[in-house]
Amino acid sequence: MNAQAQHLVKSDVERALSTALPRLESLAGKHIFLSGATGCLGLWLLEYVKVLNEDHGFSLQVSALQRNEHDLLTRAPHLAQFEGLSLLSGDVRYLDGIPADVTHVIHAAALSDRRLLASRPVEVAEVNALGTHRILQAVRLLEDVHNVVLLSSGLVYGTQPLDCERITEQFTGELPSNTVNAVYAESKRFAEAIAVGFASESKIPLSIVRPFAVIGPYQRLDLPWAVTDFIRDSFHGGPIKIMGDGTTVRSIMYAGDFASWVLCACAAKLRGETFNVGSPEAIDLLTLAEKITSHFSPQPDIQLNAGHLGHHPSRLVPEVSHAQNTLGVGFSLNLDQAITQTLTWNRYIRSS
Amino acid sequence: MSELSIAILGTGNIGTDLLLKVQRSQSLSCRLFAGRNLASPGMTKAAKLGVPVSAEGIHGIERVAGEVDLVFDATSAAGHLLHAPVLKSLGMIAVDLTPAKVGKMCVPAVNLNECLESVNVNMVTCGGQASIPLAYAIGQAHQEVEYIETVSSIASRSAGPGTRINLDEYLETTESGLRSFSGCQKSKAILNLNPAQPCIHMQTTVMAKVQEPDLTRIRAEFRKVVSLITPYVPGYEVIVEPLLENGRVISMVRVSGLGDYLPKFAGNLDIINCAAIAYAEALAKKRMGA
Amino acid sequence: MSDAPSLTLCDATLRDGSHAYQHQITAEQIQAYASAAEAAGVAYLEVGHGNGLGASSLQVGESLLTDEEMLTLAKEPLKHTKLSVHIIPGFATIQRDIQLAMDLGVELFRIGCHCTEADVCERHISFLRQQSEEVWGVLMMSHMASAAVLLEEAKKMQSYGAQGIVLMDSAGAYLPEEVKQKVGLLVENLEVAVGFHAHQNLGLAIANSLVAVEAGARILDGTAKGFGAGAGNAPLELLVAVLQQKQILTGVDLYAMLDAANLVERLFGSALPTMSDVSIVSGLAGVFSGFAKPVKRVAEQFQVDPRDIFVELGKRRVVGGQEDLIVEVASALAAGKETI
Repeated sequence: MNAQAQHLVKSDVERALSTALPRLESLAGKHIFLSGATGCLGLWLLEYVKVLNEDHGFSLQVSALQRNEHDLLTRAPHLAQFEGLSLLSGDVRYLDGIPADVTHVIHAAALSDRRLLASRPVEVAEVNALGTHRILQAVRLLEDVHNVVLLSSGLVYGTQPLDCERITEQFTGELPSNTVNAVYAESKRFAEAIAVGFASESKIPLSIVRPFAVIGPYQRLDLPWAVTDFIRDSFHGGPIKIMGDGTTVRSIMYAGDFASWVLCACAAKLRGETFNVGSPEAIDLLTLAEKITSHFSPQPDIQLNAGHLGHHPSRLVPEVSHAQNTLGVGFSLNLDQAITQTLTWNRYIRSS
Repeated sequence: MSELSIAILGTGNIGTDLLLKVQRSQSLSCRLFAGRNLASPGMTKAAKLGVPVSAEGIHGIERVAGEVDLVFDATSAAGHLLHAPVLKSLGMIAVDLTPAKVGKMCVPAVNLNECLESVNVNMVTCGGQASIPLAYAIGQAHQEVEYIETVSSIASRSAGPGTRINLDEYLETTESGLRSFSGCQKSKAILNLNPAQPCIHMQTTVMAKVQEPDLTRIRAEFRKVVSLITPYVPGYEVIVEPLLENGRVISMVRVSGLGDYLPKFAGNLDIINCAAIAYAEALAKKRMGA
Repeated sequence: MSDAPSLTLCDATLRDGSHAYQHQITAEQIQAYASAAEAAGVAYLEVGHGNGLGASSLQVGESLLTDEEMLTLAKEPLKHTKLSVHIIPGFATIQRDIQLAMDLGVELFRIGCHCTEADVCERHISFLRQQSEEVWGVLMMSHMASAAVLLEEAKKMQSYGAQGIVLMDSAGAYLPEEVKQKVGLLVENLEVAVGFHAHQNLGLAIANSLVAVEAGARILDGTAKGFGAGAGNAPLELLVAVLQQKQILTGVDLYAMLDAANLVERLFGSALPTMSDVSIVSGLAGVFSGFAKPVKRVAEQFQVDPRDIFVELGKRRVVGGQEDLIVEVASALAAGKETI
């Protein structure tokens, strides 16, 4: 991977650690099992662990599960080998165990690609729900487990009403279960329920993280999400097509902050907590598209109402004060900075 | 054939841990790992180890009739009640790790040789495997033991749903084991679950009332029996040698597991598996010699 | 306004007091106190070994009288006051102990366990409910778990059929704000009545009981003169007096309760619990109050400071029933060994 891109990520990690480091101290000398190591979050977590070990003497061990043997080497060769890392390969659905001395588990393996969800919903359900079941079966056999962090999703809440500014961890919205569109959210809900069941039955310390939209390095631009669409299409010169009138509202967190929040949740001594992880700053899609396209010259066109008429705007913005107050986490980059970093990183990657 | 051919019935955590112990054994070889769920973590593990597996439970065992000498039953009490007559008719020795109490109670440090003729042996309970040898030592030192009691504390995480729902049976079986091996008429068993993190290792205390206790003799018998246990339960550690406190003889051991498949803190589960393996290995040795 | 009591008082004098009396309560003492409790009009009188049915043992102390003797004697003078027993799975079994108590006419069965282990009570609670007996669940050492965990465990007991849930501050370690938080959460989320069982190690038994009532508790445990484990329980005569002052109806006659307290003073005299350096350290360490007597005895035998034993036991997060560890800790301290 491009050295400039690597350097950019490392400087982001160092910036976040300048405030987060004290909250991570309980992880020193511990052993993390990370599933989903080659996803955007997984790669960022590995970046953090690498810096913690190389520059801060953390002596963290991380056993990182990748689906196929060479995934990590292909995606981020500089992360495929560093002090403390052991690479494991295999499908989380058929996992036959976790190293016995693992103390912390971050279960980030999941299928979240909307295209896959459309054509293979059964597999999505199986990986997300039964993968969680399998992980927790293995967790039951650990010698001394301090925390299991389950990566759920902000979509478990169902529909956020347009007049509800931010949704808290207690919110429950409409979520009809008998449509194929519900499979992803329901698989995440079931994963939470399975984990809570294990926690209750087998006294497993559990923390649930519900992430919302992110932007940043390592995010695959081929994913059909609003923010990835905008970036990818901008690189291609545009135009950017927004299906509705651009009033749909999201909030976007920098991926580096996402990973540092997850790591802080993992290090925290709290148990049985659920945290929204995301940005609380609402932004409509038109403004988001404008922010992104302004970095390109010529500036790509933005076309509204590219979809059919009557496209309903939606809103998905979390209240994150629970995580901020109990984990002491914050934001190292605002959205404008996050966009700048993301585009710069992608330019480095594209130039190499 | 230099090895005893065994099968394991029940592919949960106990059965899988047994499998790893069998794999390590010089004198046992696993012919079949049989359960119900081919996709379970235990089955996955067995398949990776190249062990033949079957999802047909006892019927899977029936299919290898004539090829298996001994079957470890790590299913459930209800399961073993169904399996016991089948195994008997197949001419296979049953080593019962469930609380079904079909066969002869076996505590290898105490009555291994007597059990080698039985077609069905039951491994009592985890607390029984830890405490009975100590009770036996006291019984050897004193003709008359007035009362004997054992208390085991185990990590909450090592007590699965089966243990939790069957506490009463655990107490009754352990109490009857204490009586029959110590010759004492009156016994009591107590079990505590402790949720502390990190998990506590199994700890077992044996207390007894005897007239004019002869501590020297008790200690000698105690050391003798402990020296018979540690070869098959390496994690069996004496924490308090027999001493007199408040008119009672008290001694205490801690049992750490081998950490094969089950965690090390689950010494309570490990000790019963170790005892089962010790029994099977003794049988292998006997048959080889014969 | 109805005169029906809005608060149920459970008198544990002849059960928790057993800890303070090394389980040597006599037939005469039981008879005398049971009559006094009946006269005072407490709703329930709990009787037996400090650790409940079937607990007489070398581990936690042998009772002078058998369960059968104690329950028969106590039952005799009771008319309005109902006889209750404490039951800990792992000590007591259905066949040996619960069946016996049913035969002897016990009217309330309080099934207790360490506060994180409610599922060990499933069999016992379900069995008793199938026999249409009154059953409550008791979460012991409840200072050791968070409010959320206690709620989860209490809900398990409720789903097994428990008709009341009592949080025990078995170590006398609660501070009032913790009572408010934990009792409050249970009251908000359970269908059944919630109770609180206080201990006096930090001098907060009455204060904590009142906070519990303010948080919605409908059941309080206490003992006459605080006769109970460690530094004792919430003194019932004081509870009745304070509740009367707050105009909370308990159905207990204050003067008769004061008489019962005087009787306890006469019956048990020097065994009545007092605050001491050791009981305070025990409360701070969060160790089961029932350990007080055995720790004192073992400390003397091994010539070590009982306070050090409590601190060490607290570090190990021991639970009720692990009394055998006292000898181990004391012998380790005596040997000057570094223990974990």
